[in-house]
Amino acid sequence: MNYLDANTWIGAWPFTFCDSHTARSLQAHLKRQGIQRALVSPLGAVLAPAPGPANRELLRTTRGLVGLMPVPVINPALANWREELALVAADARVRAVRILPNYHGYRLRAPAVNELVAALTARGLRLIVQMRLIDHRHEYHAMKIKPVPAADLAALLDRHPRLAVLASGLLQPELRKWLPLYPQLLADLTFAEWYDTLNHLREKVAARQLAFASHTPLLITAAARAKLDPSTRSKTERVAIASGNLDRWLP
Amino acid sequence: MRIIDVHTHPILREDQRGPAGAAQLIRRARAHGIEHLVALGDVLAFSRMQTAEQVQLINDETAAVMRAHPHFVTGFCYLNPLLGPSAVEAEVARCVARGFRGLKLEIANNARDACMAPVMRAAEQHGLVVLQHAWSMTNIHQRRFHTDPEDVATLAQRFPRVPIIMAHLTGCGVRGILAVKNCLNVVVDTSGAAPEAGLAEFAVEQLGARRVLYGSDAPVRDFGVALARITGSRLDARTQRMLLHDNASALLRLP
Repeated sequence: MNYLDANTWIGAWPFTFCDSHTARSLQAHLKRQGIQRALVSPLGAVLAPAPGPANRELLRTTRGLVGLMPVPVINPALANWREELALVAADARVRAVRILPNYHGYRLRAPAVNELVAALTARGLRLIVQMRLIDHRHEYHAMKIKPVPAADLAALLDRHPRLAVLASGLLQPELRKWLPLYPQLLADLTFAEWYDTLNHLREKVAARQLAFASHTPLLITAAARAKLDPSTRSKTERVAIASGNLDRWLP
Repeated sequence: MRIIDVHTHPILREDQRGPAGAAQLIRRARAHGIEHLVALGDVLAFSRMQTAEQVQLINDETAAVMRAHPHFVTGFCYLNPLLGPSAVEAEVARCVARGFRGLKLEIANNARDACMAPVMRAAEQHGLVVLQHAWSMTNIHQRRFHTDPEDVATLAQRFPRVPIIMAHLTGCGVRGILAVKNCLNVVVDTSGAAPEAGLAEFAVEQLGARRVLYGSDAPVRDFGVALARITGSRLDARTQRMLLHDNASALLRLP
């Protein structure tokens, strides 16, 4: 099956014993796991005071690496976000940006998010909202970070009904509750889980709203494929979730 | 690869599937190559502090799953230690007579509480394994009734002859692994939360391969994902075999 991974990262995460990938090592790792293409963002942009340096490194180190599509991080709470967006958008490989409201100290309800949506729409770029990066119960003890409230995402979609958003990191109950209400929303499977994940999701959710995601290197890459490979859903459906839906979503 | 899953809840009211759901879950387990599983009961049914009658009902449901799948399911007897020594001893005796091989503790109380003494004495008397729910309480402020890995260590030191499975490797995390490192009667199951990278390897490095067991926490977790915590790790094939099968087989004295 042809896999397009909606959620991978380069760089180090200081609070766990997960791998730290360069763009090249990530590409090799994903290839070993049978994943041909991936959206990749820089972990260095999550905790740094501004995402610029990590974005620059992402764009530089992914150049020429087949299959890695850079997804820079934008922080609309910073005064320079328009300049940062203009810089990353100048690279023709950039087709989407990722935001992490809970790590960067703003709500999806903030006026700056509306302005970012307008700017992305004008540039023909897509928006990925990282709803959770880590299970908040396991955050480093000094980090008091909660997931982005799903209701805030719903309010964003209410304000922008034609906005194509990829929500990354919703839990199984959140996927079952919110996706049927917002048919324009695409969501990745990073934190989706039930004993028979896909069949359980499909009781409530359309297959076209789901996208394969491994969350490498924070989660075990092979575990993501284990949600799809042994599934009893049809091949057509699994192919759509593995890559087709995200391919269609990207501009 | 032979696989024993030491942490499942075939019946879960939250799932609204009932006994038919248990059969469905077991079919799915078999499809993943699992040859035996431990059923722990619907341990949060009704509330976190069930009455004696509710505890009996939970264990009756587990017994029914065992009867329906006699060579596939081992039952663990769920207990609410706050019901007192008489209730605990009576329920353990009732479950042992029906072939249960272990005791399951959830979040009625913290494992360091005095009410655990009759539970552990019963486990020792009947030669049972104790599976204690545990999670790091660093970010969950419920330690009054919710067991942290440090509390499992306290329990294990008080009752060193009782084998204890500390549930939820990912929930316990690095600090939890280190907390029980010197408690040789404690093993850790790999169930719980998303499949965070690096933890299975760290657990084996610190505790040794004999003290880590595969568990899924199905239906809350996907069997395939839970298995990939081990098969998708850097652990060698022999170690994976121990975690997936041999350790549980020896602990539960399965044929």
